[in-house]
Amino acid sequence: MNELIAILNDIRPGQNFSKADNFFEQGVLDSLDLTALVAALESRYDVFIDVDEITTDNFRNLSAIKTLLERKGVWSSSAA
Amino acid sequence: MSELNTRRLLLAGDTTLDPLGRLLERSQEAPRLQISAAPYGQVYQILLNASHPAWEFKPDMLVLWTAPQLTLPSMEKLLRFASGPASEVYEVVLREAEQFAQLVVQAASRVAQVLVPTWVLPSYERWIQTLTWRHGVGPANLLAKANLILAEKFSARENIVLLDAGYWQASLGRPAYDPRMYAVAKILYSPSLFEKAAAEIKSVLRGSLGQTKKVIVCDLDNTLWGGVVGDDGPESIKLGAPDPVGECFHAFQKTLKGLRSRGVLLVICSKNDEKFALSVIETHPAMVLRKSDFVAWRINWKDKAENLVALAKELNLDLDSFVFLDDSPQERDQVRQVLPEVHTPDLPVSPSELAPFLSAMTCFETQTIGGEDLRRTEMYQAERGRKEALELSTDVDTWLKSLQIEVRATPLRRETLARAAQLLNKTNQFNLSLRRLEEESYWNWAAQNGNASYTFNVVDRFGDFGLTGLVSFSFNGTEARIVDFVMSCRVMGKKVEEALLGYAVARAMTAGADRVVATVVEGPRNQPIKTFFASKFLSGDAATIDPAHVGIPPQISLKEEVFELQPAL
Repeated sequence: MNELIAILNDIRPGQNFSKADNFFEQGVLDSLDLTALVAALESRYDVFIDVDEITTDNFRNLSAIKTLLERKGVWSSSAA
Repeated sequence: MSELNTRRLLLAGDTTLDPLGRLLERSQEAPRLQISAAPYGQVYQILLNASHPAWEFKPDMLVLWTAPQLTLPSMEKLLRFASGPASEVYEVVLREAEQFAQLVVQAASRVAQVLVPTWVLPSYERWIQTLTWRHGVGPANLLAKANLILAEKFSARENIVLLDAGYWQASLGRPAYDPRMYAVAKILYSPSLFEKAAAEIKSVLRGSLGQTKKVIVCDLDNTLWGGVVGDDGPESIKLGAPDPVGECFHAFQKTLKGLRSRGVLLVICSKNDEKFALSVIETHPAMVLRKSDFVAWRINWKDKAENLVALAKELNLDLDSFVFLDDSPQERDQVRQVLPEVHTPDLPVSPSELAPFLSAMTCFETQTIGGEDLRRTEMYQAERGRKEALELSTDVDTWLKSLQIEVRATPLRRETLARAAQLLNKTNQFNLSLRRLEEESYWNWAAQNGNASYTFNVVDRFGDFGLTGLVSFSFNGTEARIVDFVMSCRVMGKKVEEALLGYAVARAMTAGADRVVATVVEGPRNQPIKTFFASKFLSGDAATIDPAHVGIPPQISLKEEVFELQPAL
């Protein structure tokens, strides 16, 4: 989870990602940040996020991102 | 005053360029940029309409990045066979390209600089390969021609730079396009391509501001050749064919030689025996670089940082214009710690990567390559001759007289503008106002009523220093203000500055001034000019120059070309 926060901090420094329920509604991230986030996650975890998965809902907060990455086999539930 | 003033850059294109804007704004590399990304798809409106809201940002620079299939209406038709045979659409696309180029040329007068990446088709588009390069038919052939039209039309304006987007794409080794992001956010290019574009745009802007590296300091063993010559002997070092490692070092030297031939100074800093190492350089059959390619060297057992400081002093250049190339991580670490201003990149471990690495360095970017650049190494070698003559002379005055210095004053001209702007932007030590201006902005300033700018060429019996002085005035009634007083460090210590000021004051008086004023700005490295001007002012008036304290020294002969108060167009 800390690693995820580090990636988010690179994209948008100085935001409280742990506390936000919805990055996009609360103005923590915008749609451009979403594209940067997808690229950063793909290169960090060697996954492919398909076009229908690139939605603000799938990336709305830390647990949503974690769920998406788990589905892609990035983390086993114990390691997260 | 900061050398690296923040500049305002407007991004306009037919796809979302905001990711590029963020990279450019956040990057720590000079120059600092403030970015405004216009909404995509309004390229023609922005170009046509000087009162389009995008211009309210008041940009200094414009980056215009378009995709041919989006910006040239008929290109998409040709790609998709949407209007019958491709050959019929071909000519229409070329006319559209001409119209686009014409609009860019017109809009270029609104900013100091316009950067336009060339047109490239996305690499995921595969057209019929049998036909794509066929004349009058295929898109590959057509795009090459369209890009040539851009190059030709843009040559009418010095301030438009065509950037090689084909090279960006080819250099990546990773996908340059991301069709997903185009679907999601109209972002056509991949993050890697944006990173490359940002780095290249910054590099080109530094080049146009003269903020480039001037000197490469090379180690010898395992840098210019493979092996340690002192241990292995000259016969055993790896250099040249048929040894593959030798081929790599040969290629690296050829790349260095190319940089030297366009004005980058080469210097050696090596832990070796000087006489022995120089004899290897002069006699080894496979050496590309010889002693005459280097302007200075420190081949000894001293600390490299100490040697670099001595070399900077000898060449009279700042260490922040130095690049240090050494295969040893320990030497690099030491130089980085002691002299962080020296650019010390990690060299690739494989010799085969050395030449490509050097070739890809963006810190030697330049706006023009003129005679000054091509002759630079020779000029520095002449300087060695002068120093040796000084050591033989009994006093400085005799030495100066023996140099037979001649200074030629000329009003600024189109032909000298590129070098004048280079001098204005690169000079730190002997620069009155530290003003930095792109070529066109400087030309326009000099052409304004009441302003005048003069350049100075210096020659002595050892050689030609080239255009090494620049003085400009702004007249206000009978007061002449010296706005720029710039002299290359190459001619420092020869009383040339006295000749420049003596001439400038006389010139201003002839033009009707009864008072000549100047203000020396505070800069990080301009102590030499502060010291020089300190003795030139009236007592109790640190702005007005006292004509009694200026004059052309007797050792210098000054010649002037026919003057007009306004530079000739």
